[in-house]
Amino acid sequence: MSADPYSGRVRALFEHPVHAGSLEQAPQVLIEDQGVRIALTAQAEDGRIRAFRFRAYGCPHVVAAAEALCERYEGRPVAELEAFEAVDLVRDLPVPAEKTGRILVIEDAARSLGKTLRDVSGS
Amino acid sequence: MAPKTDQRDMIYLDYAASTPVDPHVADLMADLLKSSGEHGNPSSAHAFGRRATTRIAHAAVQLGALLNVDPASLTWTSGATESDNLAILGAARLAQHRGRHLITMRTEHKAVTDAFDRLQREGFEVTWLDPGTDGLLDLAALEAEFRADTQLVSVMHVNNETGVIQDIAGIGALCRARGVLFHVDAAQSVGKLALDLAELPVDLLSMTAHKVYGPKGIGALYIADRPGVAVEPLLYGGGQQRGLRPGTLPTHQIAGFGLAAEIARESMHDDLERLTGLRDRLWGGIRDLPGIHVNGAKDARFPGILNVSIEDVEGESLLLALEPLCVATGSACNSTNSEPSYVLRALGRSDALAQSAIRFSFGRPTTGEEIDAAIDRYRLAVGKLRALAPECAA
Repeated sequence: MSADPYSGRVRALFEHPVHAGSLEQAPQVLIEDQGVRIALTAQAEDGRIRAFRFRAYGCPHVVAAAEALCERYEGRPVAELEAFEAVDLVRDLPVPAEKTGRILVIEDAARSLGKTLRDVSGS
Repeated sequence: MAPKTDQRDMIYLDYAASTPVDPHVADLMADLLKSSGEHGNPSSAHAFGRRATTRIAHAAVQLGALLNVDPASLTWTSGATESDNLAILGAARLAQHRGRHLITMRTEHKAVTDAFDRLQREGFEVTWLDPGTDGLLDLAALEAEFRADTQLVSVMHVNNETGVIQDIAGIGALCRARGVLFHVDAAQSVGKLALDLAELPVDLLSMTAHKVYGPKGIGALYIADRPGVAVEPLLYGGGQQRGLRPGTLPTHQIAGFGLAAEIARESMHDDLERLTGLRDRLWGGIRDLPGIHVNGAKDARFPGILNVSIEDVEGESLLLALEPLCVATGSACNSTNSEPSYVLRALGRSDALAQSAIRFSFGRPTTGEEIDAAIDRYRLAVGKLRALAPECAA
């Protein structure tokens, strides 16, 4: 007996990952852990994220979470990305408890990218 | 007879998990369930009971004809899981005075492995044989494991994940030469591959109706009429079926199984030819994808199943990206579990390759157009997920 393991939001984000891809000449973070491989790249200007892209190898929840991250933080201050907590995505999508560890990989990558963007911009 | 769900664009390619009920079978069962049908208890001595008994006897003749066995050697059960349990637990416990050593394979269905786990906890000693990378059992490896106290060997005919066909004639011959009982889980092969049990050295054989266009909830266990072949019951009650499997017999389900068996017997040759064509068409459409692997033996494989793994594609995402194809990642019983298949791991596949495995399985209603759609969808999904994935870290 199996109910649909994916919410409508997860399905939509997985099916149409409009932020999938990479940005030339932009800082990038690549992390591989727990069977997940995530690459985040972003361009920042005046302390704000102007463009945010991801690539991901992982389950549908990982892909959806990466897309939701980009969607949420594009246009937001870099400092907010540094303080990103995966628990928000886990709750919103939602992500089942047994997959939380995979979303924490995204959290690590997001925070690391936020720090890199701050270091690069010198802000 | 296309098994469509409420979404018309769904394509069902999971016939190894279950088949739709053949319309002739469904009609027969519906008739039997009506007030004008066979509602009498087959154990009753009156006319209604006798009519129900006649129906059940006819179904046993139909199933017996499919397997070339005496109908009296068939015991009705709720399905292959119960048949496996009755055969393995029932035979091992009854004949434990002959020995407490048992042999099976790591790639068996859970209905078999869990039954052997249970016997291990009861003090039996179980030898778990690994297959080769092709999924086949090496007969010499089996031969080397026989002991004086070996009592029972259980090996499935067609593997439910890979479709690999074991040499049950060869295995059975080794068992028979040593006086060891041989059980075969034939859930995936009864009604699909020719099985002449008058010729094959098989003592116990499990089967189910719902893999062969019959209803769910009914199966059977063949028990050879030979000295030393017997099982003790798992259930106790009204003494039906010689006390081996008591309980009121479900006339409509048994009749449905019987008719499904008769239809399978008549259509087996054509079915196999069609399935081979469909399987080859699908493989021909995806075999050029880089990093794709067929799981299981090249030749000794049931044509109704094609199990493929692919490098650099995550399995759960692949399954979702394949929608509206209804396929399986492993056995249906494991479909909600993202753990790599234990069957494919036993074939030596890495976790990543085992986890990327997709089992396509075909049936009588499958069309060439559905196969072409599956090819397109698989290629599209693989391309999308590979484009989405970052390069590996150096």
